[in-house]
Amino acid sequence: MLRVSLSTELQQRILAFINGGAGDFESLALEVFAFQREHNAVYRAYCDRQPPVKHWPAIPAVPTSAFKEFAITCFPVAEAVAEFHTSGTTRANAGKHYFKTLELYDAASVPNFRAHLRPENLPMLILTPTPTEAPHSSLAHMLGVVAGDDAEFFVENGTLQLERLQRRLCEMQWQSQPVLLIGTAFAFVHLFDANMTFELPAGSRAMETGGFKGRSREVPKVELYRLFRERLGIDHVVNEYGMTELSTQFYDGAGSIKDVPPWARVLVINPATGQPAAVGQPGLIRVFDLANLWSSLCVQTEDLGVAQADGRFEILGRVAGAEVRGCSLNAESLLKS
Amino acid sequence: MIVTLAHIQEAIARTVEARERILPLRSTDAIITAIAQAASHWLAPNSHWRARAIAEAPGPTRFSEAMIHEAIQLTFGSLTFEALGELLDRELGNRRVLDEFCLRGRVQSRAHGPRLITHILAGNVPSPGIISLCRGLLLKSANLVRTSTHDPIFPVLFAESLREVDPELADCLAVLSWPREETALTQAALATANAVLAYGDDTTIGQLRRLTPEGAQFLGYGSKVSFGVIAKEAMTEENLPALAEAAAFDVSIYDQQGCLSPHVIYVEERGPLGPRKFAEALAQAMDVYQQRVPRGQLTIEEAAAVSQLRQAYEFRGATDRRVAVWASPTPNEWTVIYEDDPSFSPSCLNRTVYVKPTDSFKRVLDSVQRYSDRISTVGVTPLNERAMTFAADLAKMGVHRVCQLGQMQRPPLSWHHDGRPNLADLVRWTDVG
Repeated sequence: MLRVSLSTELQQRILAFINGGAGDFESLALEVFAFQREHNAVYRAYCDRQPPVKHWPAIPAVPTSAFKEFAITCFPVAEAVAEFHTSGTTRANAGKHYFKTLELYDAASVPNFRAHLRPENLPMLILTPTPTEAPHSSLAHMLGVVAGDDAEFFVENGTLQLERLQRRLCEMQWQSQPVLLIGTAFAFVHLFDANMTFELPAGSRAMETGGFKGRSREVPKVELYRLFRERLGIDHVVNEYGMTELSTQFYDGAGSIKDVPPWARVLVINPATGQPAAVGQPGLIRVFDLANLWSSLCVQTEDLGVAQADGRFEILGRVAGAEVRGCSLNAESLLKS
Repeated sequence: MIVTLAHIQEAIARTVEARERILPLRSTDAIITAIAQAASHWLAPNSHWRARAIAEAPGPTRFSEAMIHEAIQLTFGSLTFEALGELLDRELGNRRVLDEFCLRGRVQSRAHGPRLITHILAGNVPSPGIISLCRGLLLKSANLVRTSTHDPIFPVLFAESLREVDPELADCLAVLSWPREETALTQAALATANAVLAYGDDTTIGQLRRLTPEGAQFLGYGSKVSFGVIAKEAMTEENLPALAEAAAFDVSIYDQQGCLSPHVIYVEERGPLGPRKFAEALAQAMDVYQQRVPRGQLTIEEAAAVSQLRQAYEFRGATDRRVAVWASPTPNEWTVIYEDDPSFSPSCLNRTVYVKPTDSFKRVLDSVQRYSDRISTVGVTPLNERAMTFAADLAKMGVHRVCQLGQMQRPPLSWHHDGRPNLADLVRWTDVG
C-alpha cells in the first residue's frame, strides 16, 4: 500500500510540474528513474549492467525495440487502462505502450498542443480515425484529448473520407472560416493527390505528423509544405514529433526547431561513441519524458536529429538503411532481396 | 579527370589495337610472369605501390591504413606465377592452348580469349576487381575497366605497377572512372565488348545485362553472404584460441563488407566446450584483431545500425538467458551477439557477428535454406569426413564454396567464383583433327 501511495504522490508532483507548478526536472527525473528501476525487473537488470547514475543524462535508455519484446511497465499489465501500439513500422511485431492512467499523458498533451497550434475557436478537421475507432493509436487518442467535442475526424475504416473532407473544406472556404487541419503526412498526400485546390481563409493552419511508412508516395518536406500552400492556401504548418513509446509530443517552435517542454529533455547521441553528439552534429534522438512515469522515462529512438545549444532539437528523419560498400548484403538488403 | 564518350572510345581503340599488335607474339608464360612480378612489387614492405595505396585508398574505401596493408597482402599475395599457371592449367587443361595448337586427346585444340572484355567493378574489396583484370590479361584480351566509386585506387595503381614491369602488356588495359548514372558512357563501354564481367547488386547487374549487346558474353557476380560452422569435435580447450582467431579474421577483414565475410558462426552443442565459450573467445580475438587492424570510419547510418542492434540485444540479454552480447569497450568497433535461436540472422556488418548454438548440421541447413541462392562460402571446422557429408548437402543447396574457418577470405585463385569457372567460360576453341 505504501508503495502505491508513494508513486501516486510522485505522479501528483509530476502533474503539478507539467501544469506549471514548482519542481525541478533533475530531481524528479532521478526519482522517476529510481521508481522505474525498482518496479520494472527487466529495466533493473539492464541498469545493473550500466554505469551508476548521478545526473539525468546518464539514466539508461530503453530502446524502442524493447517495447516490442517486453512489457515496459512499472505496474501489472492487467491493470492497464489503455495500450497504444506502433503500426506500419519496418518490423513485423508492434511495440506496445501500456498505461496505468492517462492522466499524465493528457496533461502533457493539451498545453503543449495549445501553445503551438493556438486552436482557439478554429474548427478542427482531423485526418485520422476517432479514438474510439482506433483505441490503440496514441495519435488518435492525443487528438481526441486536445480536440474537444466539435472536432471532426475524417478517417473511417482505415480510409480517408476524401469527399466528405473536400465538402467541409469548400464550406469553410465559402464561409471565410479559418480552420485547423490535422493529420499524418501520408493522409495529406492522399488529399493533395486528389488534385483539388482550395484557398482556405487567412488564419488557417495545419499540423502534420509522422513519416510515410509506405502508405502513400514519399514526399520531401519542402515539397509537402509547398503543396500545403498551393492546394490549401495554408502557410502556417507545424510538424509534430510524437511516438507511441512517449507521453509527450514535440512541436516546431521557430522554423523546424522543436521546442522541448519543461518536463522533458532531449539528447542527440552520437552512435559511434554512445555520448551526446556535439551541437550541430547529427545523432540518434534520446528522449527523457517525466510523463512516462509508468513506463520508461528515457527512450532511445531510431530517429536522427541535431541538437541546438539550448536543448531544442531538429529532426532529420528515421535512419536510412546503411549502404553496403563491399559485395556483401546487410540485414536490410538481404531481407528485401 | 572527367571521362567522356571520346575517352571511352579512344581507350577501346587503343587497347584493342595494342592487343592485336602485341599479344599474339606473347607467350602465356610471359604474361603470367609479368603479372606475378607486378604483384610481387606490391608485397615488399617498402613498396612504393603499397605506400601510394596507403596514402590514397583509406578515403574512398573507408578502410583503415592497417586494413589496406591486409588487403594488399591478400590480393597480391595470391597472384604468384604458380597460382596463375595452375588456374590456367586447371581450367584449360594446358596454358599453352592460348599460344598454339596443343594435342588434347585425338585432336589439336587452340583457345582464344575475347577480343575486348569490359569489366564493371563494384565495392571496396579490391581483390575481385584485380583478379578480374588478370583474367582478361591471361586470355590475351583487351580490357576496359570501370572502377567502383568505393575503390577507384587499386585497379589504377595495379595497372601502373604492371606498366613498370611490362609497358606493352599494360597497353592492353585501360582503367577509367565515371559515375554510375552516366548510362550513355556505360553503354559505350559495353557496346563493342565481346565479354562483360559485371560486379554489383542485383539491380546494377540487371541494368548492365540489359545494356550489354546481344552476342556479347555477360558474366554477372552479385552480392552474397557467408557463414561459419564449428563442429562439436573442434570445440576443445586446446583448439579454442586458434579457432577464435581464425573466425575473428574471417569476420573482421574488409570490415565484413565482403561476400566471403561470415554473418553468423554456428557452433554445434555437446562438444567438450559449449557455444557460449566460443562466443567469449571470439570476442577476445575480435578485440586483438581490432588492436592490430582498426575498423574503418563508419557513416552515421552504419554506426546507428550497429548501435541499435547492440542496444536491442543488450536490453534483451539483461534478462533473457538465451542472449548475450560481447562488445568492444569503445562503442561499435566490434560486436559478438550470442543468440540461442538457430535462424540465420543477417548482420548489419562492420564487424557485428552472431554466434548461434545448433544441435546438428541438419538444423543449420534448415536455417539457411531460405537464403540458399545468396550464400557464397561456408567456413567449416574441422573439414573431416562428417564435414564432407555436410558439404555435399550444402552443394545440393547451391553453396559455391566450403573451406576451413580462417580460410574463408583466402580463396585460391582457381576457386569457382559464384560457382563458375574463371576462364573456361570465356574462351572460344578451334579444333584440328
